[in-house]
Amino acid sequence: MALKALDIYKLLPKKNCKECGDPTCLTFAMKLASGKGDIEKCPYLDDHAKSVLGASTKPPVRKIKIGVGERAFVVGEEFVQFRHEKTFYHPPGIMVSVSDTQTKPEIEQIVTNVRDYVLTRIGMDLRLNGIAIRNDSNNPEQFGTAVSYAEGCADLPVVLMAGTLAAAEAGLHECGNYRPIVHCATRENYREYCSLTKKSGAVLAIRAGTPDEMAELSTLCTEAGQDALLLDLSSRSLRQFINDSTIIRQHAITRTTPSLGYPVFYDATIPDNADAALVLGILKYGAVIVIGPPTRPSEKALLTLRQNIYTDPQKPIQMTAGLYRVGNPGKDAPVLMTVNFSLTYFTLQGYLESSRVSCYMLIVDTEGLSVLTAVAAGKLNETMVRDAIKKYGVENEVSHRTLIIPGYASPLSGRIEEETGWKVLVGPRDAAEIGEYLETEWKA
Amino acid sequence: MKNVEASIKSGNESLKTKISELAGDLGYEETAYHLPVTYALTGNAVKNADDARSAYQRTGENPFVACECYTASVTAENGKEPAPFTGFLPDADLRKMGYSLVDGSILGLALVAGSPPGADVVAGICRELQEKYMLTFLAGDVVGTLAGSGVKVGAEYRLVPLGSTPLRGIHFVDIIARVAMMFGGVSPGDPDRLISYARERAKAIVIVFPGLNDEEIAFIDALSILGIPILSMGGYEGGNWHLATPENVVREGMDQKGIKVTVTAIPIPMGCSPAFEGKSIRKEEMHVEFGGGRTPAFELLRVRPAADVTDGKITVIGPEIEDVPQGSALPLGIIVEVAGSAMKKEYEPVLERRIHNFVNYGEGSWHVAQRDLVWVRLSKEAVSKGVHIRHIGTLIAAKFRIDFPNLLDAVQVTLITDEQKVKSALLEAQKVYRERDQRIKDLRDTDVDLFYSCTLCQTFAPNHVCIITPERPALCGAITWLDGKTAFEISPSGANQPVPKGEVIDATTGEFEGVNRFVKKASHGEVERCCLYSIMENPMTACGCFECIAVMLPETNGFMIVTREFKGLTPSGMTFSTLAGTIGGGAQTPGFAGVSKNFILSDRFLQAEGGIERLVWMPGQLKEELSERLLKKLSDSGRQEFFDRIADETVTTTIEDLMDFLAKVHHPALDMPALI
Amino acid sequence: MTLQTQNIWNGRIGTVTIGADRAHGGTRTLQYTLGGEQDLAAVGPGATQQRPLIAAEICDDPGIWSPIVNTFMGDTVNDTAGWAGTMESEYHPDIVRLHLTSTRKRNFKDFSGIPETVSGVLKSTGLPLIIEGSNDPSIDSEVYQKCGEASSGERVLLGTAEAGRYRSIAAAAMAYNHCIIAQSPIDINLAKQLNILLKEIGVPYDRILIDPYTGALGYGFEYSYSVMERIRYAALKGDQDLAMTMISAAPDSLNIREVREARDDETDRTAATWEFYTAFSAVIAGASIVCVRHPLAIPLLKSAIDSIWPHSAGREA
Repeated sequence: MALKALDIYKLLPKKNCKECGDPTCLTFAMKLASGKGDIEKCPYLDDHAKSVLGASTKPPVRKIKIGVGERAFVVGEEFVQFRHEKTFYHPPGIMVSVSDTQTKPEIEQIVTNVRDYVLTRIGMDLRLNGIAIRNDSNNPEQFGTAVSYAEGCADLPVVLMAGTLAAAEAGLHECGNYRPIVHCATRENYREYCSLTKKSGAVLAIRAGTPDEMAELSTLCTEAGQDALLLDLSSRSLRQFINDSTIIRQHAITRTTPSLGYPVFYDATIPDNADAALVLGILKYGAVIVIGPPTRPSEKALLTLRQNIYTDPQKPIQMTAGLYRVGNPGKDAPVLMTVNFSLTYFTLQGYLESSRVSCYMLIVDTEGLSVLTAVAAGKLNETMVRDAIKKYGVENEVSHRTLIIPGYASPLSGRIEEETGWKVLVGPRDAAEIGEYLETEWKA
Repeated sequence: MKNVEASIKSGNESLKTKISELAGDLGYEETAYHLPVTYALTGNAVKNADDARSAYQRTGENPFVACECYTASVTAENGKEPAPFTGFLPDADLRKMGYSLVDGSILGLALVAGSPPGADVVAGICRELQEKYMLTFLAGDVVGTLAGSGVKVGAEYRLVPLGSTPLRGIHFVDIIARVAMMFGGVSPGDPDRLISYARERAKAIVIVFPGLNDEEIAFIDALSILGIPILSMGGYEGGNWHLATPENVVREGMDQKGIKVTVTAIPIPMGCSPAFEGKSIRKEEMHVEFGGGRTPAFELLRVRPAADVTDGKITVIGPEIEDVPQGSALPLGIIVEVAGSAMKKEYEPVLERRIHNFVNYGEGSWHVAQRDLVWVRLSKEAVSKGVHIRHIGTLIAAKFRIDFPNLLDAVQVTLITDEQKVKSALLEAQKVYRERDQRIKDLRDTDVDLFYSCTLCQTFAPNHVCIITPERPALCGAITWLDGKTAFEISPSGANQPVPKGEVIDATTGEFEGVNRFVKKASHGEVERCCLYSIMENPMTACGCFECIAVMLPETNGFMIVTREFKGLTPSGMTFSTLAGTIGGGAQTPGFAGVSKNFILSDRFLQAEGGIERLVWMPGQLKEELSERLLKKLSDSGRQEFFDRIADETVTTTIEDLMDFLAKVHHPALDMPALI
Repeated sequence: MTLQTQNIWNGRIGTVTIGADRAHGGTRTLQYTLGGEQDLAAVGPGATQQRPLIAAEICDDPGIWSPIVNTFMGDTVNDTAGWAGTMESEYHPDIVRLHLTSTRKRNFKDFSGIPETVSGVLKSTGLPLIIEGSNDPSIDSEVYQKCGEASSGERVLLGTAEAGRYRSIAAAAMAYNHCIIAQSPIDINLAKQLNILLKEIGVPYDRILIDPYTGALGYGFEYSYSVMERIRYAALKGDQDLAMTMISAAPDSLNIREVREARDDETDRTAATWEFYTAFSAVIAGASIVCVRHPLAIPLLKSAIDSIWPHSAGREA
């Protein structure tokens, strides 16, 4: 069980020395309690405190960085089984696989796509993360060459799906300094893999049959000095994956089996149904997921699903405030004001688009609160609307002075009229009715 | 004048004879329920006269069984009665009827039987039943009399002529029995469940005119076993029959059976919708205004006995709109009187606050403030469309009925615009306000057995449970104990549920066995214990909506409070938003608690830790806001000098300076028992 | 030792039967009993796992349906009964969900057309049905009465009850022995409240399915996903008022920008993929019935569900 802030505080030096970078020991304790602090930052901890705090304040799922440079990513550092309990922190890295039996141009084409493909949604750039190179040739030299092709055209994180120690060595020769993932060690060969990967600072994926065996193997690896581990759950049926991944996540976050406290590696190309496996990988705690080159529809859907699942439920996605166009609005087009809660924005936008009425959406910054909550909490008020009209130059865009506000904002209508000098029309509460509303009520 | 008791006796005797004389086969068509009443009571399918006699015996000579078997026998022998009589209704029709009952498009069922004195009387009653969405069945002479009045009969008019004699009213009972079996899960042969279903669920009444014979009286009287009120239009004495007049019979019957007409439309010549809530009426747009400092005005809502409230009655005492020129100011007293069996005196203030919303819903009416501070305007536009002062009353009465259908049965509104009368009523109102304030102020957690929960925030804080007590409002500050109680009464399956306190585990920390049990369940097993008056030990969880956060500052041996409005760094080393992010989300974090502003003034605040004297720091704005009440609280116990020992951001925002300050002012927390 | 999952459950999901075959008084070729689970979806021993069902959505007025589906299906969409038959014979869903979109037209009056449409669909497919009625309270009473009566004996699933308007649907379910969908706007407490309201007017819990409302992938799906997980969690923790099976449909999936603006040659694939990602995720969050509109989403889902639930539990042939 994780320690509460005050329990941790009792173990701290209580000097308020600020050397950890926080103003008080209490602040530092709060950080440790939420798993976001680092006990090493406190110079005055005694050994007893360190041993107690060390076990209970480090993230229950180890934080591991994959790759170097701009496209490096972090996985692990997770705390919960369900995203609604807090949030999932680090979205899984999606690694697109190439085979060492492919030609250089073939490999380069796939790598270039991973390097360049960007899906921009809600102000975020969503990308695939890296390349997994498979040793299909069973020839270390050819494997090494394929790795060099991939490395040659992009600085992307890679997985060396080496299969053999010799191939792993050949691969590491090409990219050993770039924190690749070496796949994969088993009970039989873990010593060699540990020493190989430790030497180059690579991350090691390990494979075992059951969660019990996985726990044992990870213990052996840490004893052998390698603790940058990923637990490979690939060679399982989809159902087995869900079960084992759930078991591993639970045992990690409850700290009942700390040796399972590592991120999960999942090769989604192994099960018969690759799309289903990928979805499960995203939903059920996969941290590094290997897929085949995705089709364009899959690419978009998988990045969107990952973004959805890894959105912090307590911090709704916010739209940037501003004036947005729907269709080709002219001088007499309606202006609809709403809040910057993404769900509100998208819902309204969707209905406006399907109503085929060109218009403007004036998005006001309510810190991501929905209309109802924003009104109740005073996060939406007449001065904000006035300022938004000014700031985004709405008066230059339209010739009329009529603003449609959401139904739930009706208590503000009078005050908005007074503050802005615009005429205010109260729209429907449900965005689904906006099409009909515009049809019957709107005249510029 | 027939004596009911005597008639029942002789009626049952002659029914008995009828049964003994039955012969041959009997049964209905187009039903899966055989002879439905008999089937429901006995579980047996009656197919012939012998079956009928045995069922009659087995039910202890039940008059329904007798009537049903007799009617079925006559029908089998002679065929159905000619139109307009429907006779026995097939199952398919019944499903539709049952559908309309559940659906709410029919509010209840009525049986009208006997020989009315004239067509007008029965026509008036039937029209009223139609208007009140009752499905009415007619049996006997009443059908013929009604035909002469021009009222159309037939299922589509919600007037169903069952048959030519009152005994055909047995179909009314077979309908109830089949509805119980089809919709109510009542199994055939379970008379107890049938009766309890009929009593609780069947919204039925019976209205009888004079002229029934003894058998018919025995049959009608048996309906009272099913919980159906019998309303007599005269001609009978004795028995549990209620004498009524043509004017009040429908209303009496519906009242007795608790059948409520739902209000949907508001008959006023202006729009009425929450969409108009924020519209203000400027001076130039105003036709007449009330209160706002220019004239005396107030509003008051009282609960009254049902007999004293006529639903929808609006009275204006004093000048109406046409009596005053445009731009005038009139005095105003709005007196809303409500009745309802579930309505309680303590809901008065909560409901009274709704007057504000309701008046603002009117497209041309506007309202601010409350009690004797109200200010109301009617717009020129509305008045030009025909809006009168009395329409404010219509609006208020209708909205109360629409929004609180389970709580209120009747609402009447009196609007006083006569200055002298407003002034004298105002004195009375002010007395009520004072009593209410006193009652709420004096209400202690120890005075009640039930607290209320709030789980509205579980949307984003899945395991958070707010416990609301008279002294501890919800941590968001928005819901008091009374609000919670009222919300529960109005919406019993809503987010505010009663929490029985149960055994007191620890009066100081505010731990109650019932609260623990509730919290554990409502938090899905995540939170085992909850101490309402402690922050150090099993404090209440926090969702994220808290008005303030109370934080233990270990260095000071005391607590600081920070409000949502305060954006800067606090002596804890954290801002409000950092603190909120760490303790929110439904977690229980000893040393930290989300609290409402009003709770700070309660004696329960920090009770387990030694009370208000643990308080070392709060933002200046909050101190200012609370100053008057806090100073009073402190001086009441002779501690007024403590007020200045609470630091704010003008003193310091660092822990070091705070420690110096506390030492300098000899803050009492420094000498209190160590918190950790 | 063998490591196990650590959630401690003390509840189970209630069961609900949809469709009535000849042995049960209907004319369906099969019927399903859903529910009974005692753990999270696909977690725990297989015996407590029911295979989720795929519902293919069709409508009786394609004018307000996805143009993508209309184009893909061609003329079929103008023959509601034929459409239902085609879905069954060519795409093999488990259920057909009929949306009476004709009732959405302003001033709809053609109530006598409803029984015709419903019985046409009942004749052309042997699969159990979901029937979606009006969404206008002023015609609900008549529409649902007709829906319920026309499908009497078939134990269809009627949609969709909401907190503000559930009486007509409840009445139809009770009068004609059907099941109902209870929808709440992505909120566990409102879902619970609606179930209690339905219970109060006499709808038994074994006739209710929860629809927590599903936002399209990328457009609020995360809220729906979590609320489904939470409802399942609460049910397994013993909350009887939430222990119903869930149905998920993301009605806006084919209207979102990503799908509408896909390249012409990728439109169908994008539509199917988007529906698949949404529906399959809903299954993992705990939905027992998932609904899709694009026919090509059905084989994708079927293959995915088959790979987790190879047996066909829940199906009473």
